[in-house]
Amino acid sequence: MNNKQFLTELSGKCQMTQENAAGMVQTLVEVMDKVWQNGDTISLSGFGVLEVKKKNERISVNPTTGVRMLVPPKLVLSYKPSTLLKEKLK
Amino acid sequence: MDSKINQSQLTDLFAQASGMSKSASEQFVKSFFDIISEKVLSEGLVKVKGFGTFKLLQIEDRESVNVNTGERFTIEGHQKITFTPDAELKESVNRPFASFETVEITEEQEKVLEELDQTPVVVGDDEEDVEGPQVRDITPEPRKRILRTILLWLLCIVLVGYLVWILLWPVIGNGIIAYLDKPQTEKVSITAIDRDSVSAARLQAEQELEIESVGQTVQTETVEPEKSVEPVPAVQPETKPAAAEQEKVITQSFLMDEEDMMRDLSTFTVADTVKYRIAGCLTTHVMKSGETLTKLSLRYYGTKKLWPYIAAYNGITDFGHIDPSAVIRIPKIAYRGNGK
Repeated sequence: MNNKQFLTELSGKCQMTQENAAGMVQTLVEVMDKVWQNGDTISLSGFGVLEVKKKNERISVNPTTGVRMLVPPKLVLSYKPSTLLKEKLK
Repeated sequence: MDSKINQSQLTDLFAQASGMSKSASEQFVKSFFDIISEKVLSEGLVKVKGFGTFKLLQIEDRESVNVNTGERFTIEGHQKITFTPDAELKESVNRPFASFETVEITEEQEKVLEELDQTPVVVGDDEEDVEGPQVRDITPEPRKRILRTILLWLLCIVLVGYLVWILLWPVIGNGIIAYLDKPQTEKVSITAIDRDSVSAARLQAEQELEIESVGQTVQTETVEPEKSVEPVPAVQPETKPAAAEQEKVITQSFLMDEEDMMRDLSTFTVADTVKYRIAGCLTTHVMKSGETLTKLSLRYYGTKKLWPYIAAYNGITDFGHIDPSAVIRIPKIAYRGNGK
């Protein structure tokens, strides 16, 4: 399911135009981004937890050249599906 | 920070941001996540522009070994939902660390890294982006350091003091004890001596007084008849100096002879009078008017207190009535030694 399909589905459910829906998706993502910027996590029952995690810096080695690289630390958005959703997988 | 935002809170935030009604925004948020979870399960892939991609991954069976028992077992294949955020969102989330780039490490840097245990390098770079909190952190740091150093110094001083105290306690302690004890013992000894000496002096004085009173009675009684009997007082002044000289010579010679008598007569007490025995006749003395047995004792023995020996030697019982011009034999007395 690509973005277009997703938007049609969403606009149908919420009774709004696709363009409108696209804009709303944008704002929703922005809102969530702000939440993550604050260091908060978003946990939605039935969906899962969306959380920003810090990955530590590390030294990686290129196996072929043997060059050592310092990979800087980074903040990564991680998603952990809820148990409810996992149950549905089986 | 670090708090959990649930669906209703997220809806509220979304409603504020979008300006939509609460019910509409609730409907939107709910359907947004519902569609994703639904379609991931049914279609295995959901792409949302600006958000990311949810994928359903098939994980194959694989063999594994139980670490404890060494048994081989298979982990059954299962499906897994993964989420890959869009590059846009990724960047935005990672904005605090955005300035970092992967760096090739040269050998020199490696050494530095080993020395600094890797983390300080990153922390140093951190300042660029997280300036706010970093700057705020700087002020309490030196204060803490100062406090710590002060505390350390205090501890050191206390420890050193304690050690010195322990080491020098025997010396100082003894000094203090000696200092505290000295005046007390001195006082005690002084008082003891005082008491002893005082009591001894009083005893001596009393005894002397007793004896003297006896002597005086003797004297007065002897003198009275003498005065009436002897009407020549003019002669006495002339003879007295000579007599005194003679007396002196005699006492001196006597004292020379009798080494026993060389004992300190100033400390002579009544108790000492018993310590002598009569050892023959020393000389004879003709009594004159005004003379008493005590005076004879003083003259021949150097102390008044030995007059009873003279009395006993001459068999005089009536000390009050000694005839003038009576011949008194002065006994030679010998020291018997201590006691008895």
